[in-house]
Amino acid sequence: MSQTLPETFRLRAGNFNLLVLRLLDPRPEAVLPALGDQFRRAPGFLRFAPIVIGLGDLEAAPEEVDFRALIEGLHALEIVPIGTSGGSAAMRKEALAAGLPPLRAVGGKDAEELPAAAPPPAAEPTEPAPAGPDFQGSGRSAMVVTEPVRSGQRIYAQGADLIVTGTVNPGAEVIADGNIHVYGALRGRAVAGAQDDTEARIFALHFDPELIAIAGFYAVREQLGDAPIGRPTQVRLDGEELRFAPLG
Amino acid sequence: MAQVIVVTSGKGGVGKTTTSAAFATGLAQRGKKTVVIDFDVGLRNLDLIMGVERRVVFDIVNVIQGEARLNQALIRDKRTEGLAILPASQTRDKDALTREGVAGIIEELSADFDYILCDSPAGIEKGALLALYFADQAIVVTNPEVSSVRDSDRILGVLQSKSRRAEEKREKVKEHLLVTRYDPNRVERGEMLKLEDVREILAIPLLGVVPENESVLRASNTGTPVIMDTESVAGQAYKDAVGRFLGEELPHRFLEPDKKPGLFKRLFGGRAA
Repeated sequence: MSQTLPETFRLRAGNFNLLVLRLLDPRPEAVLPALGDQFRRAPGFLRFAPIVIGLGDLEAAPEEVDFRALIEGLHALEIVPIGTSGGSAAMRKEALAAGLPPLRAVGGKDAEELPAAAPPPAAEPTEPAPAGPDFQGSGRSAMVVTEPVRSGQRIYAQGADLIVTGTVNPGAEVIADGNIHVYGALRGRAVAGAQDDTEARIFALHFDPELIAIAGFYAVREQLGDAPIGRPTQVRLDGEELRFAPLG
Repeated sequence: MAQVIVVTSGKGGVGKTTTSAAFATGLAQRGKKTVVIDFDVGLRNLDLIMGVERRVVFDIVNVIQGEARLNQALIRDKRTEGLAILPASQTRDKDALTREGVAGIIEELSADFDYILCDSPAGIEKGALLALYFADQAIVVTNPEVSSVRDSDRILGVLQSKSRRAEEKREKVKEHLLVTRYDPNRVERGEMLKLEDVREILAIPLLGVVPENESVLRASNTGTPVIMDTESVAGQAYKDAVGRFLGEELPHRFLEPDKKPGLFKRLFGGRAA
């Protein structure tokens, strides 16, 4: 049985922008009509949009919130609740029982995640803050290089961002699956998003590269006519075009 | 234990052998027992520049292959006490050098000398890698010119990855930048890289700047290390560099273009032989 099965899925971390519906009143019969009014004024604004229910501002006991009725009402308004954020542990447990799992905001513990001002007596210990650094928006760690990257050297930050505190000299090559930051002069080649991450960017305080590439889209020096050469610069991918913008 | 110093550059013709001869002589003049080894097997220039070519009997390859003892191959300099030269072979190629053989020679020399200078061949092939492998310190010789700077940058990367210190993850090889053939007037005209540009790219401490000077060619042709020409600006610049190497704080000289062309010509001599 050496036959390899076809790949049926891939598990990857992803980050999404979601709207948060912060409840100020626990009663669905009060919230839903007001929400319905607002959405009638902007038809289609949030049709079938996934939404997170924010519990952090709610001053109510967990049993006061009828999550099932709330979910049903939201569905009727063509809004799809997918989880909760914030609130006490007991509150989150109630929501989970109704099918709304707790979500954690990127960036770790923020105000929404702190337990409500008056936690109920039966509160379970709050979830521990995520261990270790948590990089906003990327979830990647970073490789830090403090020596100059010299001609003929090649540095690859696999699955990570790359931070070079010095210079990347002509003839040197820096590669990262994530973003590349160069706090000296970038005079060699820089390849970001090496695993086809089109969101990866390249930052350099002195932008003077031989070649720039993001997710396989590249430009050699000759094609960098419009780039702010010699200045602090950010490079990103816009469709299939590399865009250069001054930094700061 | 002797300090092993490699004189290297990546690029050829920038002044490695001139620097090796001058530096070895300068260290010996300061009372340091110094031996300089020519690693450029197959070309053999160091003995010419040191003026000992007529005294070469055995060479480094003979020692490595057990055909001669180290003491038989070492040539004691007659002008400078405490200075010895281990010449390269002109009849063999670089494959005759082995890492074990070189290790044995350096170990044996360590007992008798304060400094062992290794005059590296150009390139980043076997001979150059062997010359830098045992180094504790490196003098990187660079001309103020783009390709020379690029090659020096390359060799600095090799030093930090392929030297014994790097392999054994010990404290890294101490690097010194020596800019040679510097002509302030041509720098001013934009024909040569500025010292600051070279320093910015290579980002290692500056040991000295040796101006382009006719005395260097004269010294080579007469087999006298240029540091012995105490009247010449190049000789003085090397003397300063040796002083800095030994820990003295000396201002860098010969960096400014001369205002009067007549005087400049007399002092620096342009490129005429």
